[in-house]
Amino acid sequence: MLRLEGITAGYEGTRVLRDIGLEAKEGMATVLIGPNGAGKSTTLKVINGLLHPTGGRVVFQGNDITKIPAHERAARGIASCPEGRRLFPLLTAEGNLRLGAYSPRGRAAAEETLASVYDLFPRLRERANVKAGRLSGGEQQMVAIGRALMSKPTILVLDEPSLGIAPKLVSEIFEKIQQLRKGGLTVLMVEQNAYQALRIADFGYVMQEGRIVMDGPPDRLLDLEDLRKAYFAIP
Amino acid sequence: MRRLSLRTLGPTLLGILAFLGVLAAIAGRMPLVLLTLVINLLIFAALAYSINFITGLTGYVSFGHVLFMAVGGYGLAYGVGTLHWHPVAGVALGALVSLALALGIGAVTLRFRGVYFAIASQVTALAGFYIVLEVQELGGGQGIVLNVGFEPIAWFYTIWVILAIEVGITYWITHGRLGYGIRSIRADEDAAKTVGVHAAALKLVLFAISGLFAGAAGGVYYWQGSGIFPNEAFSLTFSLIMLAMIVIGGMGTLLGPLFGAVAVYLSSQYFLTVLIGFEFVIIGVLVVVIALFLPEGIVGTLRKYVPELRGLIE
Ligand SMILES: Nc1ncnc2c1ncn2[C@@H]1O[C@H](COP(=O)(O)OP(=O)(O)O)[C@@H](O)[C@H]1O
Ligand SMILES: [Mg+2]
Repeated sequence: MLRLEGITAGYEGTRVLRDIGLEAKEGMATVLIGPNGAGKSTTLKVINGLLHPTGGRVVFQGNDITKIPAHERAARGIASCPEGRRLFPLLTAEGNLRLGAYSPRGRAAAEETLASVYDLFPRLRERANVKAGRLSGGEQQMVAIGRALMSKPTILVLDEPSLGIAPKLVSEIFEKIQQLRKGGLTVLMVEQNAYQALRIADFGYVMQEGRIVMDGPPDRLLDLEDLRKAYFAIP
Repeated sequence: MRRLSLRTLGPTLLGILAFLGVLAAIAGRMPLVLLTLVINLLIFAALAYSINFITGLTGYVSFGHVLFMAVGGYGLAYGVGTLHWHPVAGVALGALVSLALALGIGAVTLRFRGVYFAIASQVTALAGFYIVLEVQELGGGQGIVLNVGFEPIAWFYTIWVILAIEVGITYWITHGRLGYGIRSIRADEDAAKTVGVHAAALKLVLFAISGLFAGAAGGVYYWQGSGIFPNEAFSLTFSLIMLAMIVIGGMGTLLGPLFGAVAVYLSSQYFLTVLIGFEFVIIGVLVVVIALFLPEGIVGTLRKYVPELRGLIE
């Protein structure tokens, strides 16, 4: 469904990603794990179009979308929950959700999708009229996921959904993500929280210093001594 | 979003239209001193609404907005002086050239964010100044003196129409889906893009509209002044006044530019009678104080602290 081929990218002269190849297969949950600073968020920016790679291709549903601008990728069905959630703090929770249906593909069915988001996160229904800036971290993450769902995406791309949330809510959020994937949505998720993420994944990639150093099914990755080495930078 | 666009016109819009309606009804009977004051107030308000489109709504600080006002003035002067057109046609010419220029400049400078955009816009205004100095058809460093009549009623109705259209467009784009998209750019442009907002196109359209109306207001300003001189026309002061008006009134709001224009214009007129040049010190201090303590301007502050007003002003 979504494939990166030989991606090289960085910021103003500093190269962060080197020859990244990975694939999120249709109907599966794929996770990208790795220590802080490995380049995971940068990889997602290449996918949602906020950062243009200096080399390589981004292929979505068989089409090369490397040069397609960010807003059009949303319209094509790539929904992303960016790092740090990036909600619109002065809009209410519901305002944020509705803005998620901005592009044409989400607009027509906005009311039904909104109802299904509230069914997924009943807590948001109660908090609908609260300004996003006043929500708790967990609630904000729910809004961020809900906002992404409002565009009726074919793939949901998540950057560290567990970051800055109370531990109890972390497992709840992961359960919801698993629920979405069981409902047929393709998921690509970046996480530092490798254990939790791999538990709900179908396939995993491990990133270190801008390179994919390992990949495989989750049970293999969870088992490996190497993973711990990659993670804790043990030589 | 659908619910919002179905809402009735709203008290703020009706209030502004009523205010303009009253002015239009009594303009012919005003004493000349008052009429002149009102005309200048409306010109300032038109400038405030013009910069509100880009800086107020998207947060891109157009620090050289005087460029578009000056281009409007030179369009008028060329249309009237060289082409011998009616001044209203001259205003239209200036406004359209200004629109075209804004499209061209914006296509490049709107790629920069934050302070880089502000600097780039200041550079374009400086460039405009030096270009005009070299163009003999535009009077070079001498400027252009126009041989137009003293027509306060014509000035009044021209700027009145310009302002009314600006208010209408501001209302239209701040409501409904488009308004959400535009304001999301100001809040977080990258996040806006990821939800599918075509930020680049929206910014460019707003900048072009902004240029169009700054040009139109400039045209009327120099029609009234019956001439244009480069040193005044490209003065940084105008850019600062435009920014001051929306900062004081409330950026991106419907009523703020009008409040800001009244506050800045009246206080500048008052201090003009006290000490020339001093008025800008006062306005500068006022802007800093407001930006520090009331960052949402008059309108935002009223909405915040007077809950009863929330449904009334926007
Ligand atoms: N906007 C930016 N400008 C410059 N360098 C950046 C920027 N964002 C991230 N980096 C650098 O890129 C590297 C990878 O960062 P990131 O992709 O955020 O890693 P991760 O998400 O895996 O923690 C880091 O060295 C970081 O300092
Ligand atoms: Mg990150």
